[in-house]
Amino acid sequence: MNKLASRRRVLKSTTVGLATAVGLPLLDCFLNANGNAMAATDGKKAGAPLPVCFGTWWQGLGLNPGRWIPEKVGAGYTHNVELKPLEKFTGRMNVISGTKYFLDGRPLETHTTGLQIASMGRIPTGVNTVASLDSEIADVIGKNTRFRSIELALDGSRASVSKRAGSATNPSDPSPEALYARIFGPEFRDPNAADFTPDVQAMARRSVLSDVQDERMSLAKELGASDRARLDEYFTALRQVEQQLDIELRKPDPLPACSASAKPTDIKTGREVAFVEQNIKMFGTLMAHALACGQTRVFNVMVGSLGLRKPGTTQSWHPLTHEEPIDDALGYQKEVTWFIDFMNRGFASFLTELDSIKEGAGTVLDRSVVVWQTDHGYARTHTIDALPIFTVGGAAGRLKTGIHVSAAGDPATRIGLTMQQAMGVQRGSWGGLSNETSKTFTEILA
Amino acid sequence: MKQMHLIAVAVCAALASCAPAEDKVSGAGTTAGVAPVVAGEATMRRLTAEQYQNVIADLFGDTIELGGRFEPELRVNGLMAVGASSVSVTAAGMEQYDMMARRIAAQIMDEKRRALMMPCQPADAKLADDACARQFLAESGLWLYRRPLTDAELGSYVTTANKAAARLGNFHDGLAMSFSAMLASPRFLFRQETLEPDPAHKGQVRLTAYAKAAQLSFFLWNSGPDRALFEAARTGEIHTPKGYAKQVDRMIASPRLERGVRAFFVDNFHFDEFSLLTKDAEIFPKFSAQVLADAQEQTLRTVVDLLVKRRGDYRDIFTTKKTFLTQELAAIYKVPVAEHGPNGSPDIWQAFEFSKDSAYGGVQSQIAFTALHSHPGRSSPTIRGKAIREILMCQKVPAPPGNVDFKLVQDTNNPVYRTVRQRMDAHATNPVCTGCHKITDPMGYALETFDGGGAFRTKENGADIDASGTLDGKQFKSAMELGKVLHDSPATANCLVNRMASYATGRTFKREPWIQAMEQGFAAQGYVVPELMRAVALHDVFTRVAPPAQQAAN
Amino acid sequence: MRSMKRPLAAAVLFAAAAFPAALFPRAAFALESRSVVIGWLGQATMNGDKDCGAEGPNPVIGDQYLKHLKDLGYSGEEVEALAKKSAEGGPGMDPVLEIVWMRGRVDGKPTNPYVYPETAIDPKLKPLDGKFAFGFDLDGKGADQASAFTDPDTLEKGVDHEMYRALGCMRSFRGSLTGRPTYWAWAWGQTRDSQPAWIVTVTGEDLSKDGDVTVTFDRALEHVKSNPDGSPKSDATYRADPDPRSHNVFKGKMKDGAVTVSEAADFRMLQNPLIAPELRLDHAKVRISFKEDGSATGMIGGYQPWRDLYWGMANGAPGVELCVTGDIVGMYYLLKHHADFDPDPKTGQNRAISATYYFEAVPAFTTPAQQTASK
Repeated sequence: MNKLASRRRVLKSTTVGLATAVGLPLLDCFLNANGNAMAATDGKKAGAPLPVCFGTWWQGLGLNPGRWIPEKVGAGYTHNVELKPLEKFTGRMNVISGTKYFLDGRPLETHTTGLQIASMGRIPTGVNTVASLDSEIADVIGKNTRFRSIELALDGSRASVSKRAGSATNPSDPSPEALYARIFGPEFRDPNAADFTPDVQAMARRSVLSDVQDERMSLAKELGASDRARLDEYFTALRQVEQQLDIELRKPDPLPACSASAKPTDIKTGREVAFVEQNIKMFGTLMAHALACGQTRVFNVMVGSLGLRKPGTTQSWHPLTHEEPIDDALGYQKEVTWFIDFMNRGFASFLTELDSIKEGAGTVLDRSVVVWQTDHGYARTHTIDALPIFTVGGAAGRLKTGIHVSAAGDPATRIGLTMQQAMGVQRGSWGGLSNETSKTFTEILA
Repeated sequence: MKQMHLIAVAVCAALASCAPAEDKVSGAGTTAGVAPVVAGEATMRRLTAEQYQNVIADLFGDTIELGGRFEPELRVNGLMAVGASSVSVTAAGMEQYDMMARRIAAQIMDEKRRALMMPCQPADAKLADDACARQFLAESGLWLYRRPLTDAELGSYVTTANKAAARLGNFHDGLAMSFSAMLASPRFLFRQETLEPDPAHKGQVRLTAYAKAAQLSFFLWNSGPDRALFEAARTGEIHTPKGYAKQVDRMIASPRLERGVRAFFVDNFHFDEFSLLTKDAEIFPKFSAQVLADAQEQTLRTVVDLLVKRRGDYRDIFTTKKTFLTQELAAIYKVPVAEHGPNGSPDIWQAFEFSKDSAYGGVQSQIAFTALHSHPGRSSPTIRGKAIREILMCQKVPAPPGNVDFKLVQDTNNPVYRTVRQRMDAHATNPVCTGCHKITDPMGYALETFDGGGAFRTKENGADIDASGTLDGKQFKSAMELGKVLHDSPATANCLVNRMASYATGRTFKREPWIQAMEQGFAAQGYVVPELMRAVALHDVFTRVAPPAQQAAN
Repeated sequence: MRSMKRPLAAAVLFAAAAFPAALFPRAAFALESRSVVIGWLGQATMNGDKDCGAEGPNPVIGDQYLKHLKDLGYSGEEVEALAKKSAEGGPGMDPVLEIVWMRGRVDGKPTNPYVYPETAIDPKLKPLDGKFAFGFDLDGKGADQASAFTDPDTLEKGVDHEMYRALGCMRSFRGSLTGRPTYWAWAWGQTRDSQPAWIVTVTGEDLSKDGDVTVTFDRALEHVKSNPDGSPKSDATYRADPDPRSHNVFKGKMKDGAVTVSEAADFRMLQNPLIAPELRLDHAKVRISFKEDGSATGMIGGYQPWRDLYWGMANGAPGVELCVTGDIVGMYYLLKHHADFDPDPKTGQNRAISATYYFEAVPAFTTPAQQTASK
């Protein structure tokens, strides 16, 4: 009997759940951060991996040039002084330095243009815009969740980076209370108890792919030995796509770490740093539970940096960036730097919440990626080059971490394209005019 | 691949070949009574990204977006066209093919486009429609499989479409399912050399008419056959020498030949390496993604203009002053090129001729060569010399031994050894190194007047650059003089002949008598590249293959 | 070599190093041109620690707003209460901004102070106190005047740069040639990529030697070309706009690689109206120094209509005031008081103020716009 045919029979007779037993390599995206194929709690039972999650963190007003770029490029870098608050995530995050927003002759709308390019890849020419990055990603990874995405703002506003195509913005939930009510209110259903209806499109595709498999015999007859081996590789690859579909067609495995969050109490919203500090933590807790319970797979955090202020002062973060003199001894603006440090600590606190829910060997953060971006490289003079970008979390094994990538002069949209490809959005290039790129950060793609 | 031909051997071989043995050389094409030259065993080549794109564009127009990533291609003996015969599909690659297939199918079946894209519409859009599905799938199948579908194949796709339409309650969704399966089929993704018994040579095989048509169109147009070529295959006209020659003539005269010539040079010049090229922004501030794209385009336009539009002498690509520039490139070359298009247009091309005294001339002086074959922050005569030997002259340069201390070479701030030549001389005290460096560096030094970003310079770190050197005994003092030596060297033209034959067939050839005959033919007709392509297309080696080896199959 | 000789007859701009020399035979009266494109332009400042007295620069905008409240007659307790409420945030308009953004008074009624600056109380912001400023002796009075500065580079005395004195203690106008003032960084950032490039061409018999030169400032048809990192790109090609409204010619001298314009001339350059529709400097003087790589830095000083500057800011008020400039009406009064040129025949109020701008430029090719027929 032909070897290929017999192997085919083995494959055909193998139930999907035992895929590993026949020794076929699994698709990369089926691996979690630990390289284990499955995330089942008992460590033995084969099941679907926990899904990947995507988050954005928009923190306007940049950082201080010279205080955040790690000295070393590549793996094993150490954090520069301004990123010390994120020290505990070293090895689980990436730093991307040197990118830029391109204006192509359009005026710089300070604090706005950067957000548009980072989220949409371009400066829109009218009210009708393309969808933002997170919406594109949600269309792929968030199709079957209760919320396509969740937006929240730390400064009590409704501002958000998330846009659907057209002119619609997805507004932020301004307070932890509002977010709690939306996710864990009466409409919340325990996902582990929910019924399951397989997707009819996936079922049709599954059957179509089987037809392609049937072409194998006729084709193999025409080929020599080495080409048959190549054809065999092709069909093995095809089989893996089928397996992926098979997983989609089964009832999802239970979400072991799902539990409803406690209701936040004693909430004050506003732009005072003490409120913001408290709310970051509460928002973090809520998001961690929402992700663990599969309520959404995409979220967007708007920091609302511009208006943040310390109690008892008239100056908020934004005017300080322009009016505070550079401290001669320090070489940077002292008060502005206090805000930067405050908000970087806030980012760390949010991430800590995501990292506190354990799922098997990993955490919610391990199967997520949170992308930190900003409007200006240096807010004092509104520069739009040398932008800081960070990603935190391994995205369920889709990303490599612990790497500093220096991308001097490249469009910042490279991160958007990289994230879309990592999340499975079909896109070879992204962005408009000079902000268009077809170069991903291959350094961090697993 | 392990076998290293030291360059000395290659050079000796080249010298020996200057007087080819006439009696061993056979003429181009099949001579009656003489056994045909067989290229080798039948191959199965994976479509390149560009070929995939071209086929879809030929079939549905170029507004279809593919999305997705193609798997990296493999270079074998200088060409990815050869590597295509040994690559398969990985799981990640299959996922991309599958997604692209669905994306393309969805665009064709899109409510706003389907009237344009499809030859028919169903009687009821909610139900399966056997006749319309059959018509669409048969037509698309011809282009994707590059032959008519068999009844069984068509029947299977139609059944799939009908079943899916019933399940989804939508004709177009069902048809999209079936069509995306066709796009993911190995019959589409791999070009297979299918064979049949050859009536003219008893006991031998030849390419089938449709396989022959595909072979021809991918070589000359880098895409699938057009309708006329399919027709020549259907009627069997393509099997007659006259009918075949007629198709070759028609295809060489077609504007699509430019696409084929571009594809060849993209492959031959290693332009795929641009996707990994980075330049230190501090040292080369003008280098941008646009420059990377424009630099490749500049060289391709230079080559196509000279070789196809003006049917010039291939050897002139090493000396030509005529080129095309954008403003991005002009700023690096430091020449004035005003933008004549709309303000801000990033991609306006201007014909430009470098002055007689300019150091620029020939493709080896262009950014796509000098910057591609350099380090991120500095130039390298070794890398450039190696590229000249391997890419332009088909000679193999051995890899450096391990355990080499490159510290001195890399120390661009060295106060004593200020030019790379001085540093190399100091570095190459080890006789093992000197041997290899002698093969590459003297040619590379001539290009030292171009920095690692392709800009002209006369000094490095304040010291004058000495651009003199020798190539196979010929002396030169500048980049332009190196171009003249390359122009006059028989190795460059002969290399092109070998590469062209390899590219066309996906195979590697030694300098066999039939190749030598082709070299002579190329010289005799004035080194006109489209004529060389014609000679390759008309040669036995292009259409005759042996049946695949079966021994390991069972 | 960036420069070449051209026949005198062809009086068009041309810096075309790479053009075949044969096309332009060296004639007896040959001229050489060198062009640069301006990549940065802003007021020339040189602020130090002690130039605003012991209390330092004028207050930050938040504190300034509280001072406006006091000027309007609010009591200390009232101001404190309003400030507290403002800091707490909450729905609706900020209570402090609500008042100060309408602090003008006409017949006791609140008025927009940015549109009608004279209806608002002069907050009497302090000007700069210093001896040195970049610029030129524009009025020719030399050292013989109390208010004049000394230029720190040329050591010229009697330098007129009253805009520096007027705005030198406004936080967003403070800076140096390298530490760019926030306002000018913002203004140039807004305009640079949204207006045609400005090109400067120096023409003379032999630019490697000392001698007479002509300096022209023109607008291009293209925007400034940038490197990927945002810095202006060297060796790009620009077409000079034939529009005479932005064509400026100065006579000067080349000495030791630096160009000085001796004869003052009026300078007009159309620009992005966000700042002002035109940069206008009357009786302007220029100096430029070239570096070995062909790049240049320079100063251009003259008398500028100060209302142009005011309206550039007031048009963006109150947002620009809060975010970028600081007290705009305060600056209205500062500019008005320090204006030193062009008195209004009726009121005697000076309508222009001496100003000096600093520019940085990189080498460029210039071709006349009309020679652009497509090939």
